[in-house]
Amino acid sequence: MADQNKTDTDSKFYNEVLSPSELFAARSRSHKIPVRGQKDFFPDDSDEQRQRLEQSLNEHWSLISEERVEKLGNLVKATWIPSEHIVELQSPAGKFWQTMGFSAGGKQFLFPEEALYLMECGNVQVFYQELPLSIQDGYEKFLYSSTLRLQEYQVFGHLKRLGYLVHRFHPSSETSSYAKQLNLPQSRDRAGKQLKRKRSASPTATSSHTEAQEESTADRMEEDTCGQEGQEDKKLPESHLTISPETSSTQTATASPGNKGGVRTWWMLDDVGERSDHQPASAASRWDFSSISFPDLGSSRERLSSCLVSPDPSLLPGALAVGVCDVDPWRTRINLRDVKMSSKEQMREEEKRRHRSDKDREVRRCSNWAEYRQLMERRQGRRSKGRATHLWDGEVTPLHDPRQPIPTGELLDKISVIKSTHLLEGASRLQASDEWRISFNVYQPDTVADFKKSNPGKPYTRMCVCSFDGPVPDLRAIKQLAFQSGDVPVVFAVVDYGDISFYTFKDFQLPTDVFP
Amino acid sequence: MLHGELETLLDISITLGSQPLRDQDSMTDHKASVPAQTEGMEQGPPQVLGVSDSAPPQVLGVSDSAPPQVLGVSDSAPPQVLGVSDSAPPQVLGVSDSAPPQVLGVSDSAPPHVVGVSRCDSAPLLWRDQDLRAVRGRGLVGALLGALPRTPRQNGRLGRPLLLLPEEERLLTELHATANANQSGGGVQLSLQVKQHLEEQERSLEEQRVLALQDRKSALLHAMTSSHTGSLGPSEALRGHLEALHHSFTFPRGAMAVQLSTARAGLHHCHEDRAFLRAQQPITAQHDSKAAARYQVFRDLRGRGFYLTSAGKFGGDFLVYPDDPLRFHAHFIAVVLSLDSSLSPLDVLAIARLGSNVKKTVLLCSPGGVQYPGGAEGVQYTSLQWSGMV
Repeated sequence: MADQNKTDTDSKFYNEVLSPSELFAARSRSHKIPVRGQKDFFPDDSDEQRQRLEQSLNEHWSLISEERVEKLGNLVKATWIPSEHIVELQSPAGKFWQTMGFSAGGKQFLFPEEALYLMECGNVQVFYQELPLSIQDGYEKFLYSSTLRLQEYQVFGHLKRLGYLVHRFHPSSETSSYAKQLNLPQSRDRAGKQLKRKRSASPTATSSHTEAQEESTADRMEEDTCGQEGQEDKKLPESHLTISPETSSTQTATASPGNKGGVRTWWMLDDVGERSDHQPASAASRWDFSSISFPDLGSSRERLSSCLVSPDPSLLPGALAVGVCDVDPWRTRINLRDVKMSSKEQMREEEKRRHRSDKDREVRRCSNWAEYRQLMERRQGRRSKGRATHLWDGEVTPLHDPRQPIPTGELLDKISVIKSTHLLEGASRLQASDEWRISFNVYQPDTVADFKKSNPGKPYTRMCVCSFDGPVPDLRAIKQLAFQSGDVPVVFAVVDYGDISFYTFKDFQLPTDVFP
Repeated sequence: MLHGELETLLDISITLGSQPLRDQDSMTDHKASVPAQTEGMEQGPPQVLGVSDSAPPQVLGVSDSAPPQVLGVSDSAPPQVLGVSDSAPPQVLGVSDSAPPQVLGVSDSAPPHVVGVSRCDSAPLLWRDQDLRAVRGRGLVGALLGALPRTPRQNGRLGRPLLLLPEEERLLTELHATANANQSGGGVQLSLQVKQHLEEQERSLEEQRVLALQDRKSALLHAMTSSHTGSLGPSEALRGHLEALHHSFTFPRGAMAVQLSTARAGLHHCHEDRAFLRAQQPITAQHDSKAAARYQVFRDLRGRGFYLTSAGKFGGDFLVYPDDPLRFHAHFIAVVLSLDSSLSPLDVLAIARLGSNVKKTVLLCSPGGVQYPGGAEGVQYTSLQWSGMV
């Protein structure tokens, strides 16, 4: 169809421009491509084969040489801005605007790879210096190795033609897994906020691991964080987690002697502070709860007056006036019956009370943690008489005291020599490398209907583009990319001149044969 | 070390031999129908592994003093299973084995067509239809990258540009058949170009309007004459309709058909200009030894008439087709190795398994392994194919 073979010496310009009549006739082109037949195995010099080869070749050339012809009304006009490496739309966008492009400053823009793809589809005509760009111009101008390599565009085009939604990846705009755990409102990944994650086939983040950490004791947590995170920023938020239970427990210890509501002292003070702020005018003094009585309506032991006096007006907010309160009707609503315990239960309760009083006395005598620990050890020691002391007194002691209960899983962990690890362990320490970087976020085709560019949600995968000429990604690269990607799997798109193959690495844990 | 290697080979042969009969049959069919596929290869008495070689197989790191009897194959009668014929390899396109294969091109009577190579992100691309045809005529296949204009939203068939393999580009450069087609400054002045473009658009609009009107009129005529069969006097009514159509016909600018060119227009194709461009193009030298080895193998195989494409996803360097890939399946996966590199048996096994799974023969190629009488160096080929115990 193209004007070809004007190779006579008269014509200086040799181009593939269609004449207007050809353009007009292009309306009635077929839009189907011929199906490729079965290939032969071996070339014998038969006529049949030669004929088929010729036919295939002719078909091939006719398809290749066909030029794109579109109605001007169907084309969206755009201009190329080389300084910013962006394409600006001049006429209103079509259907593609739902999933491609972005607005800035009241204008509509397309990324160069999106613009090039739309040019190839025949939806957009890009102008530069008032002349329309050919596809060749587009390739040469839009594809630079620093911003968008040819291989990355190949992968982009391949995925878009299959129907996927492909967007650029920005490492800074991805929320870290920690931020997701905290359920920060500005995080866009709604799906990534589940703290409890079942162990599924796809690689998961450290959420389950860190969960386990949080559940363990404060000491172990401290050790783990110090060991793992090193000098990363991550240490700070997690150390905050360790600090709070510690402070609360130390405060408990100091507050406990001589105070009935020991645990509450520090936050009560805080509370008082807050409340004193809210107090309108008077009562600058802090509340002294030893002087304010909170009557125990439920206890039958205390004799209560049948009515409560009205509280001090200085304690009440505003101009609230409270009268005397008649307690009797309230008491009838409370179940004041004694719990009827069997004799065995009663004996147990007595024992507990006796033990508790003993313990309390001894525990109260301890003035710091060290003494408390010693007391506990003494008690433990008293209990475990008859232990094989020759085993336990030396430097090397058995891994586990058989008299202590332990779940099978933990015991297996204790005797294991090799600790299993997961993909993201230590990944936060790795520096981002220049060689391996994630290029695109890929979303599935069936999400097109309710896809919002402002809030795309969690992508299906992320693409890292490489080639067979380059090195195979080593563990370091895989870890670093998986960390950058968070909980979204990373797929390596390996480009081989014309073909693209996709590979992914999945984190896998060997199953442990343990009954819970 | 020697025995150990041979023993491992023996072990491999045993495991390979225990294949179900079905596979064997398929392989034998494969071989039987291809009596002469080993053209141009030097074959020795075949062994169980199917490693056939007359020259010492340095590729495997095994010394050539050990006779094949270790592997327990009787090489008295050539087994038909492998379909190996020891006759002279059939001549492909008139290549004789005494001399190194010539690099084939179009017959050199006419000046060779010079193709314009446009570099995009340091990759060589061809954009013009004529260039693609010329390159195909030389037996170079390349890879299409772009969307096909007719059906842009599918990946089955792609369109221009054509990406050349580095070996293909180097071959063309050595034949002085490439020219740089990247846009250089100069040429027609920009404002003039814009004016020309706008004028062309207007002309095109007018012509298309005329054509559209004609088209509509003829359609109307056809409709009226087909419906009014018989002796009704349609001429008056018809003329009236046509007049009305003529007056009321509008062809908005939006209805005009416009071309979105694939290749950039305006590059001169006269020989003098091309020659000028050609002279200026520097030949990028390949310093990498691996790349040099690949190029040698490529040139040798191309010279024997095979068509080659890249084989990254087959674990090799090239896919070797007996004729145009449009119509024929590949026969070989060519893996390029240097003569002094040693290959572990595991690697041999891996590549052999891969080849047999895709029903292609693996070809281990080492440049410099063969010396021709003239002093030129050829390429040593070793094929691996599944045979099983007979």
